[in-house]
Amino acid sequence: MAEPFVHVENVAKRWNGQLGVENISLSIPRGSFVALLGPSGCGKSTTLRLLSGLELPDEGRIVIDGRDVTTAAPSERNLSMVFQSYALFPHLSVAENVVFGLKVRKVGAAERREKLTRALEITGLLGYEKRKPGELSGGQRQRVALARAIVANQPLCLMDEPLSNLDAKLRASVRKDIKKLQVDLGITVVYVTHDQTEAMSMADMVVLMKDGHIQQTGAPEDLYYKPVNTFVAEFVGAPPMALIGGKALPGFEQAATIGLRAENVRVAEPGKGRLNCQVTDCEFLGSETFIGLSHPSATGLTVSMPGLKQIPAGEKMEISFADEDLHFFDDTGRRLTQPA
Amino acid sequence: MSALSRHIETLGALLLAVIWISPLVFAFWAAFHTTSDAVNFNVAAPWTLDNFRTAWAGAPWLRYFVNTFFLVTVILIGQFVITTLAGFAFAKVQFPGRDFVFILVLMQLFILPEVLIVENYAMVSRLGLFDTILGVGMPYMASAFGIFLMRQAFKGVPIELHEAARVEGCGWFGILWRVYVPLARPTYLAYALVSVSTHWNNFLWPLIVTNSPDTRPLTVGLSIFGAPENGVDISVISAATMMSVAPLLIAFLVFQRQFVQAFLRAGIK
Repeated sequence: MAEPFVHVENVAKRWNGQLGVENISLSIPRGSFVALLGPSGCGKSTTLRLLSGLELPDEGRIVIDGRDVTTAAPSERNLSMVFQSYALFPHLSVAENVVFGLKVRKVGAAERREKLTRALEITGLLGYEKRKPGELSGGQRQRVALARAIVANQPLCLMDEPLSNLDAKLRASVRKDIKKLQVDLGITVVYVTHDQTEAMSMADMVVLMKDGHIQQTGAPEDLYYKPVNTFVAEFVGAPPMALIGGKALPGFEQAATIGLRAENVRVAEPGKGRLNCQVTDCEFLGSETFIGLSHPSATGLTVSMPGLKQIPAGEKMEISFADEDLHFFDDTGRRLTQPA
Repeated sequence: MSALSRHIETLGALLLAVIWISPLVFAFWAAFHTTSDAVNFNVAAPWTLDNFRTAWAGAPWLRYFVNTFFLVTVILIGQFVITTLAGFAFAKVQFPGRDFVFILVLMQLFILPEVLIVENYAMVSRLGLFDTILGVGMPYMASAFGIFLMRQAFKGVPIELHEAARVEGCGWFGILWRVYVPLARPTYLAYALVSVSTHWNNFLWPLIVTNSPDTRPLTVGLSIFGAPENGVDISVISAATMMSVAPLLIAFLVFQRQFVQAFLRAGIK
């Protein structure tokens, strides 16, 4: 395999007494879309800021495009960045915002105009050049931030929750736009998000973090189908994977915890199920209804039923499932490859 | 009850306004009448411009105007440069002892400039700036109030803008010039208004440190013009006073709205 485009080796960043990130190692191939995913406070933004050079690591090494940039200034790393708040300069017009970096880097006026037109064309902002950021809608501001990120043609683009200030409908469409942009321009994108839908749908590679440590790195389907531990299992997927104590299932006592996804659960006829549960709630989603179940030795048990179902809480329900759909974890939460 | 108290408030405000404006109104009235008509409050007396002619011929006013204009400009430029750099350092640069130094700067606010007049006089003389416009302006350039104001304004700038500029390749000066200074414009405007009006009216320090008509600002020129040894003619002095305050007064009336808004905006931030 070719030399990775971005290589992070055992990077750590600590603040006085407060945990930053620890032992971060990443290899990002050129032209890929990497999502840093995790709950808030997990260190994903810190990781991005270490990549950008806005923070410097206490330990470890960062290599971008074959060059050691561990202590280099942000401007020397050939990257662009999209901030959560977009960080548009309120006193500059759209055009001035987009070419800000080119101007700082003393790019000639003719070249600047050409690149500006191209960037505005790609982001669909032609005709808005003279507006100030305050006169734009949230979605337009977001596109200005994108235009500013792509105008200089940097090979690496860092995005820090760029969609979190948009409403849900816009978010879905901008998600597609960003993905398309990344593919068309062939740039490498590192994308921070706490929204797993964003991570799973856009990324080639997802890095799931918790408490400053990387939990799992891999393709979205790996995280979904082969979670390496119970945290990943519970974080990825909606509804999250149910965890059942190994003792509750005859034949699997060796595994401390057994994971099971809602789509693999079937409602069984009375007397034929493998677990006896009680209905706790029904969540209607249109095409299906998620029915929450409770069982003394399981958490998060859910069964998905087609269409609208209204089952009163407290009603008894038996469920069954196939052995091959089960995930096994040991008592430290790590995945067991074999049902021991 | 509330209606009554509102009336009292309005009445009080009006009373204060009348007391405050009356010297100016009297000076205005006296400037356009002969001395005897002015002091006798002869309402039907004819208006005249003679006082202005006499006053204008009595002193090098044009020179004084130019001096004052230069003085406030030099002070303002010096203040902008120094308070911008110092405010930025206190707001955004980490250096050991920053808070301690900032407290020292703030302590300057507690010291009346008049207390330092002798020391300033000695210092300006040592620098060889005695009886120069630069010498008059020098002690006011490192204004603690200005530094504090700029620091607050710069602190209010979102850190993402600073970081975005850094990623785009700006150095410290680039960030200051392209991001912080434009965003602090309302603060600069408010500060400029305060600074100009203060130093246009400043009297004691220029009186001490200037010695010749070439450097004297309007206030000092006016006081010499109106000094008892030159004979007191209330109408002529009023005319001279009107000339001195006119530019600032007219500027205030014209920019009244911006003046008030600048303060509001600088405060809201």
